[in-house]
Amino acid sequence: MFECNICLDTAKDAVVSMCGHLFCWPCLHQWLETRPMKQLCPVCKAAISKDKVIPLYGRGSKQQEDPRNKVPPRPAGQRTEPENTGFPGFGFGDGGFHMSFGIGAFPFGFITSTFNGGHEQRPHIFQDRGVVNPEDEVLSKLFLYVAITIFLWLLIA
Amino acid sequence: MALKFNRNKHNSKIILDGERWERRLQKELMSLVREPPPGVVVDSDQGENLSLWTINMTGAEGTLYEGEHFTLQFKFSPKYPFDSPEVTFIGPNIPVHPHVYSNGHICLSILTDDWSPALSVQTVCLSIVSMLSSCKEKKRPPDNSFYVKTCNKNPKKTKWWYHDDTV
Repeated sequence: MFECNICLDTAKDAVVSMCGHLFCWPCLHQWLETRPMKQLCPVCKAAISKDKVIPLYGRGSKQQEDPRNKVPPRPAGQRTEPENTGFPGFGFGDGGFHMSFGIGAFPFGFITSTFNGGHEQRPHIFQDRGVVNPEDEVLSKLFLYVAITIFLWLLIA
Repeated sequence: MALKFNRNKHNSKIILDGERWERRLQKELMSLVREPPPGVVVDSDQGENLSLWTINMTGAEGTLYEGEHFTLQFKFSPKYPFDSPEVTFIGPNIPVHPHVYSNGHICLSILTDDWSPALSVQTVCLSIVSMLSSCKEKKRPPDNSFYVKTCNKNPKKTKWWYHDDTV
């Protein structure tokens, strides 16, 4: 049955370990924190870690109302783009909204990140909202404004 | 340079909230009453708050403890099941066994170092039954009198050294 091996209830925010054992993410996370130096599967004692569990998304699962205020987001599912999707030139960022600003090739970096944010090819369903930390978002925006200001200033000067 | 900043580790200890803690213990109790390991008898009424259980155990047939009656006590901290329960023999008859001290403390690795939240009262009872059943010679641990004089009341405070896998 689909019961968490820790709380014995139906698994909520379910994740499965590589060894195949099912847990609620909050339960497993708590266990990993309990013995950070010795992260073992509670059921079979295989080595496990945060990066090696797979989240399970059932059909029609609603946007979860925030279990993540308390617990760090469960790890995101890994999704690889199929090969030959048409625009090879547009292949920036398959990772969603992560922006980065470099000092070296600054204006180009700026352009790519604009593309990244504005050019959204994938339907929403595949994006795990949990990955984007609100703090990160605010910070990214802040940096975007700073970058725009500097860019304009460069143009004017 | 990717922007990365240290997300504050959520320091506050998150445990199963009271409701789920109680639900897990309630489920364990039901399944233990329904399918107890051989020789184990548990009363489905364990008092108000479920944090202290008393379990009766009878030595298995064909073993050195055949027909003897023992009482086990389980204490659950609020951190259960991330934290192991405190398990001791209580009452007038403490089994004479190389891993059981005369004050009821049990030297069993799953009760401390090897505890896992996927274990349960049921599996712990089964381990203890099996530990007793595989015993070849009834005797106390060699350091019994010293240990009993000096140990903490809570067996989990003892730094156990698990070295004998034969019993």
